Amino acid sequence: MRAIAAIVRGMFLELLRKKDFYVLFILMLVLLGFLSAQTFFDIEGISRYMRDFGYTLVMLLSFIVCVTFSARQIPSEIESGTVYPFLAKPVSRSMLVSGKFCGAVMISAITFTLYFGVFVLFCFTEAGRAEAILLIQSFLFGIMFLSVASALTVFFSVFLTTSANVAITFLIYFFMISFSDLLRDAVLAGKGIETLGLGVVYYLLPHFDFFDLRVRLTHAWDPLPLWVVAAVTAYTVVYCAGLLFFAGRLFGRKKL
Amino acid sequence: MESVIEIRDLFHAYGAGKKKWEALRGITLTVKKGGIFGFLGPNGAGKTTTIKLLLGILTPQIGTLSVFGGIPAIPRTRMKIGYMPEIADYYRYLTPGELLYMYGDIFGIDRKILTGRINELLEMVGISESAGRQMRTFSRGMKQKVSFAQALINDPDLLILDEPTGGLDPIARKKMREVMISLRDKNKTVFFSSHELSEVELVSDRVAILNKGRVLKEGLLSGFLSAKGEKQTLEGYFLEIIEGSEKG
Repeated sequence: MRAIAAIVRGMFLELLRKKDFYVLFILMLVLLGFLSAQTFFDIEGISRYMRDFGYTLVMLLSFIVCVTFSARQIPSEIESGTVYPFLAKPVSRSMLVSGKFCGAVMISAITFTLYFGVFVLFCFTEAGRAEAILLIQSFLFGIMFLSVASALTVFFSVFLTTSANVAITFLIYFFMISFSDLLRDAVLAGKGIETLGLGVVYYLLPHFDFFDLRVRLTHAWDPLPLWVVAAVTAYTVVYCAGLLFFAGRLFGRKKL
Repeated sequence: MESVIEIRDLFHAYGAGKKKWEALRGITLTVKKGGIFGFLGPNGAGKTTTIKLLLGILTPQIGTLSVFGGIPAIPRTRMKIGYMPEIADYYRYLTPGELLYMYGDIFGIDRKILTGRINELLEMVGISESAGRQMRTFSRGMKQKVSFAQALINDPDLLILDEPTGGLDPIARKKMREVMISLRDKNKTVFFSSHELSEVELVSDRVAILNKGRVLKEGLLSGFLSAKGEKQTLEGYFLEIIEGSEKG
């Protein structure tokens, strides 16, 4: 565990000393600040619009930090040659992969917490009890969303270059957010071998749509029932464990 | 004397089919405890491949090898090994102290002991004044010094160095030689590959000369240099052996 903690600490220091995190944070402050200024002019429905936009912004910016940070971890270890002195120490390759995943989740969680905090300050200054529960659920779902994104990116980073990894992860994200309902309908309506193929795609791709509580937050609907939260948590754990298992196996076989 | 490294009929190839390239073609080698072993050969001789196999980074395809009697691919076998790679651009946003702390943590070294050891190592390699600077501002020589320090963080019984002197100034080279000699005096083992034959000649007890994946000569350095009855340099001997193997 100390080895994994050591990897995580190194990644945390890197996050603090690089500019990416701060640039995106300032960008978010500027955009939310600009939008909140519009409320002074009594534009109808601006509060809902702000919640919708603010939530999307928080998720997107956290996703950008998460993916760009996770994607470069293993390839940069190989390119810079630091993977050799690292693996010469008493750590297995699976431990290195696990450490990189834990680091990526921690970095993403820190980023998300900060961004989400700002979003709540701007958009939920007078939240009721139901909204507070929904906000807590959104926060948990955000962390789980970023955990799945980290696992997927770390998995791809074992065999893809950083740029290819980032591009593919973003494509999957936008595809699942936009078309997962259509894909599900096609799976349910289809017959024969096509359905099997579509079903494999549907169940293998990460369901980023499961974590999206934007509409619920925007319209201040009721919080999710507990069993849904439990099911999504179980999905996150199983999906991340599966990806990390295969990432460890593939990295173990990789010729360095 | 107890052997630290045992290699038997080791083969290793990269690629497959027409692209297959045999890096090692059946090398056999034993390194005894408590000495400095020079591992020499021209580019592409198989030195780095052998080192990667010794560290468990690659796995043997044919043949066997053991380090301290264990299989290097098992992490705990590497507890007593220190390794300095030929080139490594260490984490640019960390300071040397943070890097050493991270590596020390991986070995599970007690944190109080670790802090003292880090200061001692940074002092020893001569970068204690730059200890608070991020490594992206370091020159190649400074990075090599950090690399040497990290190889010693666990007070290893076997120190493996791959071309360690590249980019180092004469003072740092001298310091490195002194450390290698002090490790030998403590009955520890140093295994190092180098093109700098004058460096090897200054410190090595035994050497192995490798070419095209085969060990051509292995034995006491003093024995090789005085074999013809007249003292010759290691460089002269090395060239004679390599050129002889190319012709034959």
